[in-house]
Amino acid sequence: MSDFITIAIPKGRILEESVELFSKIGIDCDELLSKSRKLIFENAAQKMRYMIVRATDVPTYVEYGAADLGIVGKDTLMEQEKDVYEPLDLKFGYCRMMVAEPAGLAKDDDPSRWTNIRIATKYPHVAEKYFAAKGVQIELIKLYGSIELAPLVGLSERIVDLVSTGETLKQNGLVEVETIAEITTRLIVNRASLKIKNKRISEIIAGLEKLV
Amino acid sequence: MVTSLIDPTLKETLLPKGVNDFLPEKAGKIGYIEGKIRTVFELWGFRRIITPLLEFHDVISLGMGEDLKSKAFRFDDRQTGKLLAITSDITPQIARIVATRMHAYPLPHRISYQGRVLRHAELQSGRSREIYQSGVELIGLDSPEADAEMVAMAVEVLQGLGIDEFKIDIGQVDFFRGIMAASGLTEPEKRLLREAIGKKDVSAVSAVLDKTNVSAAARDEIAMLPRLFGGRKVLDKAASVVTNDRSRRALDNIAQVLDILDIYGVSDYLTIDLGEIRGLDYHTGITFEGFVNGVGEAVCSGGRYDDLTARYGFAAPATGFAFNVLTLLSALDKRPEVEASKTRDFLLFNLKDDRREVLGIAQNLRRKGFSTARDIIRRDYANSLAYAQRMNILYMMVIGGHYCTDDEVYIVRVADNKSIKVNKACLLSDDFCLNIDP
Repeated sequence: MSDFITIAIPKGRILEESVELFSKIGIDCDELLSKSRKLIFENAAQKMRYMIVRATDVPTYVEYGAADLGIVGKDTLMEQEKDVYEPLDLKFGYCRMMVAEPAGLAKDDDPSRWTNIRIATKYPHVAEKYFAAKGVQIELIKLYGSIELAPLVGLSERIVDLVSTGETLKQNGLVEVETIAEITTRLIVNRASLKIKNKRISEIIAGLEKLV
Repeated sequence: MVTSLIDPTLKETLLPKGVNDFLPEKAGKIGYIEGKIRTVFELWGFRRIITPLLEFHDVISLGMGEDLKSKAFRFDDRQTGKLLAITSDITPQIARIVATRMHAYPLPHRISYQGRVLRHAELQSGRSREIYQSGVELIGLDSPEADAEMVAMAVEVLQGLGIDEFKIDIGQVDFFRGIMAASGLTEPEKRLLREAIGKKDVSAVSAVLDKTNVSAAARDEIAMLPRLFGGRKVLDKAASVVTNDRSRRALDNIAQVLDILDIYGVSDYLTIDLGEIRGLDYHTGITFEGFVNGVGEAVCSGGRYDDLTARYGFAAPATGFAFNVLTLLSALDKRPEVEASKTRDFLLFNLKDDRREVLGIAQNLRRKGFSTARDIIRRDYANSLAYAQRMNILYMMVIGGHYCTDDEVYIVRVADNKSIKVNKACLLSDDFCLNIDP
C-alpha cells in the first residue's frame, strides 16, 4: 500500500477540473465524478488513491501525511499557513480575496483613514494579518457562510470574502474596496512524501506544469 | 432522550495542551527507541553529556535564532531577578558548554545527548510542545567527512530500527545564501522570496521577482531554487546556472560529502534539495532531514554550524543532528520488536501459604534475566491471568495448588493458555530455557 500516491481533493468545481487535468497526464480518476457516496477511491493499476474531503481539511490531511498530494484554493492555504509545499499553481478557480462594504458607505469612505473597523469573514487569520500590516485595528467576527449578509443587518460594517464575478456582492448592495490577494487553485505536497516518493511526485508535478 | 456525555462540572483539563503523560506501554516503546539510538551513538565513539533544563535567557539567546528564541518558555528567577528560559534546543547549550568548560580538551569533541526541550506551538495545531531529542554534536572539524559521518549515523540508526523506506534529504544553506547575497535584492524582497522558496511555490517566486529590478542572470538562479530537488543530477543542473563563488563552493562541498557517503554505501538513501532553507538560523553549510514513509514530518534533522561556539567565546567548526523520538515512535509504533518492548516475562502466582519458595524462584528467574513480578494480591487463578494479560506479561507461573505435582511448577502462556509443567530442579539449573510448543 505504501507505494500508492494518495491525493486529497475537495468536492465541487475543483473536483471536476482536477479530474480533467489528471486525465490529461494519463491519470484516470473518472470514478470520482460518479454519484457514489464513497469517500475514498483506489486505482490499483496506477497505484493511485483519491480521497474526497472538505476543502478546509485538505491542508491538514497533507501536512500530516495522510495524503501525499492535495488540491486546494490559495485562500485556504493563506488562512491556515500549514507546513506543506505548494509547488504548482493550477491556475483554475480564479477569484479575488476582497474587502467589501455597502455602496452607501463606500461613497464617502477613504480606506487610508481606517483606524478601528469591524470585519465579518470566513478568513479571520488573513484579515488580521492584512489589516495589521496596514496598521488598522480590527474587530473580527468569524462567520461560516453568507458573509454578504453581515453588513446588511449591521453585524459588521465591512467584510473580507472571495469574489469571482461580483454578482453576489452587487445583488446585496456591496462594492469592492480593496483587493487582498488573487486566488487560484494549488497543488500541495507533503514534505516527507516529496522526498520518499520523489520520482513519481516529480513526474506528476512536471506533467501538470506543462499543462497549466 | 440523548444527553451529552461531556461532564459539565469538568471545567478544566488536567494537562496543558501539547504535553503528554506516557503510560507504561508507550513509555516502554520510547525507551526502546532511545536505547537503540544511544547504542549507535556509543558505537561511533560519542560520549553523553547532560545539560540543565534551565538557562539564563540572555546567555542561551546568544546561540538561538529569532525563531527559537520566540518559542522558548520564559519566566523570572526569584533568586537573581533575571529572566530564565527552559531549553528549546540543546545544541546551543552544548555550544555554551564546549566553549566555556571544555576548551582545554583536545579536538574533536564527539558529544551525544538525550533530553527534552519545550517549544511554544500554535494553539490549535495539536502539535506537541515537548520534544524528545536524541542527538550528537561533532565539534572541531570542518571536513566534509564530519558532515558525512552525521548522515551515515542517521542512516545506521534508522536501519537499526528496522525501517527500510526512508530518505535522508541533504541541503546546503550556503548555496541559497550565495545566490541571495549576489542578487543585490533588498531585505524585504529576500524575505518574501525566502518564504516562497521554502514552499517551492514557483509562481510566487516569479511574482516577487517581477516586482524587482534584479538582473536576468540572478533571476535565473533564484527562479530555479524551488525545483532543485531530487537525485544527484540536481548538482549538475545547479552548476550550469550558478556563477557566484559562494554557491559554487557550496556545490563542491555537497559533492565531496556525497562522495564520502558513497564509500559508506548509503547513497541509495539520499535525496538532495538545494531549495530547502528550513534549517535553523545557526546553520552554515550542509543540512539534512530524515523522512520515513508514512510519517508526515522529519524524524531527524541537523547540519553544520560553524559560528555557534564562537558566540560563547571559542570558535570551532561543528556539525550535529538530533532525532525527534516521538516522531520516530509514530513510524515504529506497530512493529513487532517495538511492541515486544512493552512486554514482561513472568507473573508468579503463589497458592502456597508460605512465600519462602515463590520469592526464591523469583530471585532465580531474575538472575537468569527474566523480568519477573509477584502477584502478591490474593485472588483466584482466572483473575491473576486476566491481570497478566492486561499488563502485557507473557507467562504466568503457578506455584503450589493442584495444577502440578509438588516438585513441579505450572507455566501458562497468557496469549493462548497453553501450559507446561516444569520440574523445579530443572527451573533452578543453569541451562533452563522456556519452551512451549509451538
